Amino acid sequence: MNKTVTINISGIIFHIEEDAYDKLSKYLNTIKGYFSKADGGSEIMSDIEARIAEMLQSKTSAVKQVVLMSDVDFVMDNMGKPEEFAGDEQANTQHTSNSDYSEYINNEPVKKRLYREGESKVLGGVCSGIGHYFGFDPVWLRIALALLLVFAGTGVLIYIILWIAIPEAKTTAEKLAMKGEKADINNISKAVKEEAEQLKKRMEKYGKEFSSMANSQAPRNAAEKIVDFVGDVLLNIGRVLFKILGVFMVIFGVIFFFGLFTSVFGMTFFPNNIDGKEWIDLLLLDGKDFYLGILGIAIFVGVPVIMMIYGGIKILFKINYRNRWVNLSAGIIWLVGFLMLLYVSIKTGTDFNKTARVRENITLTPNDTLYLKMHETPVNSDELNVSDNAEEGEKGFIINRRDNNYLIGTSNGMKYLLGHAQLNIIKSQTDKVELVIVKEAKGGDKRMASERAKNISYNVSQIDSLIQFDNLFKVNNADKFRMQDITVILKVPVGKVVYFDKSLESIMYDIENVTNTYEDDMVNRRWIMTANGLKCLDCDGISDVLNDDDNSDDESNKNVKISVNGININAKDVQAKLDSNGANINSKKK
Amino acid sequence: MVNSENTKAQMRKGVLELCILSILSQGDAYPTEIIEKLKETKLVVVEGTLYPLLTRLKNTGLLNYRWEESNSGPPRKYYMLTEIGETYLKELHLSWYELVDAVNKTITKQ
Repeated sequence: MNKTVTINISGIIFHIEEDAYDKLSKYLNTIKGYFSKADGGSEIMSDIEARIAEMLQSKTSAVKQVVLMSDVDFVMDNMGKPEEFAGDEQANTQHTSNSDYSEYINNEPVKKRLYREGESKVLGGVCSGIGHYFGFDPVWLRIALALLLVFAGTGVLIYIILWIAIPEAKTTAEKLAMKGEKADINNISKAVKEEAEQLKKRMEKYGKEFSSMANSQAPRNAAEKIVDFVGDVLLNIGRVLFKILGVFMVIFGVIFFFGLFTSVFGMTFFPNNIDGKEWIDLLLLDGKDFYLGILGIAIFVGVPVIMMIYGGIKILFKINYRNRWVNLSAGIIWLVGFLMLLYVSIKTGTDFNKTARVRENITLTPNDTLYLKMHETPVNSDELNVSDNAEEGEKGFIINRRDNNYLIGTSNGMKYLLGHAQLNIIKSQTDKVELVIVKEAKGGDKRMASERAKNISYNVSQIDSLIQFDNLFKVNNADKFRMQDITVILKVPVGKVVYFDKSLESIMYDIENVTNTYEDDMVNRRWIMTANGLKCLDCDGISDVLNDDDNSDDESNKNVKISVNGININAKDVQAKLDSNGANINSKKK
Repeated sequence: MVNSENTKAQMRKGVLELCILSILSQGDAYPTEIIEKLKETKLVVVEGTLYPLLTRLKNTGLLNYRWEESNSGPPRKYYMLTEIGETYLKELHLSWYELVDAVNKTITKQ
């Protein structure tokens, strides 16, 4: 009993014994190898196949249905060995002297190509294929790859990319090309010499053409020759640049991939080591979104990087074979990554859609003079420990309201988002002292936004004439970072006096007053509310200090006087006078 | 010992083109028919030689072909001479007779 294979030659079905099939398919592949370069090679091939089908048909019948080894031998005897008939025809088509050319064809080493070895493979035959290409034992490559695996798993990726990029040697011709001639020093120098020889010949050819061009009467033809020559040179330069591009693609691809891999790995398994992870948590609604986002980024960036390595390898080893599903699936996977990122950003972004403001009105006990200051225990230093970020160097900044930045603090193991409140003083329309705390936040809808706004905690307290404010407002982490903000408006009736303590400077924001005095000059002074706004009570006699600009002008006017009489300059060591008497300069120094 | 086989094969190959064109001038034929006729005259040893030659003659415009269904096997490619092919064949015929004369004279003189 023998196993048979069903084959189709020229549209005719044959049942053929397995060993006979192997022989026949090797035979056909060898012929194909010979004719692949010839003009009309595929046509010759199909003619030959049609004839073989006919011959096999004559050997089979209703009684003897199976093609046997002897039948294949009969076909091969009749058709002849490919080297008997193929080399000749190539010689004919080239119109060169017969024997010379066929000799050249036969002696030319089979051009070596990179293929995967299907016979002595461990996994995909990548290592043995590369081993054949460079002529070393694939075991070393396997060990190296295994070591790479231990380091970061990059080996797996490279292996898989090579597996996909390099075709398997299936036909005899491909197997021959895979083994080819070893790429050792001798062959390389031979190849280089041949290349140089060819270049020399080409140059000589062009040289002759150029010299004959001088007395030629067809300048158009000459122009064509030059175009040919330039084209030839450019083509070669282009080829070299393309190879270099391939090298860069592979090198940078591997570097990018390594960086991406380690950062994604780190972010996934040690998320708390990421700088600003707290902020990411405050932005994202759901903890899962973080991992979805990382996966999205990994795919979105990783797929192009992998395709870059893939493309580079194909350029380097001149692999022409196209694998449509590779590009297709890469595109689909990339799109999935993009959609993941899009989902996370839309989900987060829409949570900023609506803004809500909540007002809390507090009526304070009126007093002729109100002393305003910060609470003794500031929110950031005692009650909460301001996060590392805030402590390092930036402390001066974060205390200032104008920078409007947020911090993260911890209290009793709970994390809080902290922000700067702002204080404004305006004229009360009634005779009551009123305090309005405006809380603001964003959310997916109005309800959510106002819920978040209400949850902001900010304290103002009154003891007799003393009103104390929190320096920062506090947001529970569960409420996320949604542009929360606190504005405190103190409404003071006309005739009442407020005193700003120095500690309050950091939350005072653009408080209007009749003298347009800045916050840093408003502190430690008493201000009375007039019909026009706040007016300073303690600033008499120190107006010079308040109005810096006027002050400096006065100072310079003392030294330089320009009048209708002339110009007078009185400096420390020199005196200059420019008037109707002429120029007069006196130096005090000798 | 000098092997005459190679020389004989080369001689046969040289006139193969002329023979194929002559066979086709007697009527259209598909490769198997051409081979059978060549085999009768022992001009062809291996069939493989024929196919590349036919394709080349067709590509140079001497031959043309049409497909014909066969009731037993794959469809057959019937080759025929083109007009160029016919004039070309006439030239070949003339030079063939000249050659045969010249060769015969040379040989018989010895």
